[in-house]
Amino acid sequence: DSLLGEVLVVELNTAEPWPENATLYQPLREDQILLSDCASSLAVQAYLRMCGLPVRVCCRANAEYMSPSGKVPFIHVGNQVVSELGPIVQFTKAKGHSLSDGLDDVQRAEMKAYMELVNNMLLTAELYIQWCDDTTSSEITRPRYSSPYSWPLNHILAYQKQWEVRRKMNAIGWAGKTLEQVYEDVSQCCQALSQRLGTQPYFFNKQPTELDALVFGHLFTILTTRLTSDELSEKIKSYSNLLSFCRRIEQTYFEESIGKLPLGVIV
Amino acid sequence: MAAPLQLYCWRGDHGLPSVDADCLTVLAYAKFAGAPLKVHKITNPWRSPTGILPALKTREEGSFSQPSKIIIQLRKQKYNADYDLSAKECADTLAFVSLLEEKLLPALIYTHWVDAKNYVDVTRRWYAENIPFPLNFLLPNRIHGRQLERLRLVRGDPTLEPGEQLEKELYHDALECMTLLSQRLGSQKFFFGDSPSSLDAYVFGHLAPLLKIKLPNGKLQQHLNSLDNLRQFCTNILVLYFPSESREAPAKKVSNHADGGDFDNEPHKRRNQILSVLFAVGAMLGYAFLSGIITIKHTPARLEEPHVDEEEEEED
Repeated sequence: DSLLGEVLVVELNTAEPWPENATLYQPLREDQILLSDCASSLAVQAYLRMCGLPVRVCCRANAEYMSPSGKVPFIHVGNQVVSELGPIVQFTKAKGHSLSDGLDDVQRAEMKAYMELVNNMLLTAELYIQWCDDTTSSEITRPRYSSPYSWPLNHILAYQKQWEVRRKMNAIGWAGKTLEQVYEDVSQCCQALSQRLGTQPYFFNKQPTELDALVFGHLFTILTTRLTSDELSEKIKSYSNLLSFCRRIEQTYFEESIGKLPLGVIV
Repeated sequence: MAAPLQLYCWRGDHGLPSVDADCLTVLAYAKFAGAPLKVHKITNPWRSPTGILPALKTREEGSFSQPSKIIIQLRKQKYNADYDLSAKECADTLAFVSLLEEKLLPALIYTHWVDAKNYVDVTRRWYAENIPFPLNFLLPNRIHGRQLERLRLVRGDPTLEPGEQLEKELYHDALECMTLLSQRLGSQKFFFGDSPSSLDAYVFGHLAPLLKIKLPNGKLQQHLNSLDNLRQFCTNILVLYFPSESREAPAKKVSNHADGGDFDNEPHKRRNQILSVLFAVGAMLGYAFLSGIITIKHTPARLEEPHVDEEEEEED
């Protein structure tokens, strides 16, 4: 969202506490939501839980269109609507809740860099596998994306989205990559994350930050989503510290609702 | 002995070995890794082996185009600037390069290619003057369109228009990114100690054009100039690894100042005048011959020289 919008948000909401009826909107969990959107949504949920801010998850078929930036998830807090993890982190910071205040400058730089690494490599790889791999796209993605709509709208919307994502891949230079190369990129990304995590419980000291939420969101979703092949989750499973990291966050922050998590979204 | 490697990249100007960020990244990496490259500085991307610049041509493995692919290829040939890095530093490299690409690159694209004043006064002018005819009429606009399209796709907004709103958002991210890089660099000479690595190449490639190419709308430049350690970092690399380019720059700067904002260059003006006069005379003569005002008679072949008769007829 715009810088001006952020400034206004800060000015209007600094004093207001977090309301009880804050809601997070995402696409339908069982039939519609895709891997990349599920990962982003889980990251935001994890972050809010880490901050101790209660939020209700609401599934809507048109969540993508309701969102101010066109991307899910988005949260509705008081009379503000904020979408995507970055702006949401800014928004909660304005309300006085922050996970990264204890970091020094160098650590904060590293945190932001690693968050961009996840966005640049993991999220893009997820989008590529969903939309640019013909098998996955025709067997999983398009049917799921268009499930709430009737013919012919379902075909039109699915192909329109696919075309848009493929053009974006072209613009950033991913169009020439093969599926194997994308898996290799995911592997490199996981290796970097695993290196950075080392033997620590969280990425920075003993307290989780938004980076932990983001990494958890993506890795957990990949591990628990079945795609046409298991190669993606196998890449992550080969790093044991990442596996125990995910398990730790799941047990600490999602304990009471383990049954409700999108475990094993069978597609 | 490795097979000779050839690198095709954009020509340099303003004290830089190349005006394009990707080319600078690859050139810097090659210098850091000590790779013996035969560098072709060209201004016509169609002459490159892959059709885009930069391009690395190897004897056995074909040609490669994106900086990441070129660096991987150089590493395969045992020219590795990251040899001494620990595993954590390699991970940090990946993360910071992602930061550059996600937060800084869109703003750089905007400031060089989309911002109206910068594009028309500086970027398009440089490319139009340096690309050979007739590509200089096509390419700058085509690149401009492609960069705007790229910004639209990356932001996910198909109706994006260049303007203050977009500029504010992009520059906000970019300024933050530059500050973060400055904090990470601290007072070190390079990002990971005393010897440069691929991360230094990427940062140099992206920041050096911003530092050296003077733009009318220079908000990013001002911020970069205020970050002393980054500015020092770029100048350091230029002086250490590209000494010949930085020596040329002062001489060029003087002549540029003399021209000021003058659009016509003296030698071109003279040449254009002569060419246009010749063209006009040629056109008049051609018309005269075709409409019969002037005729040249050749008498049939004799041993003597044919003589030319000129007849002028008055036209009513």
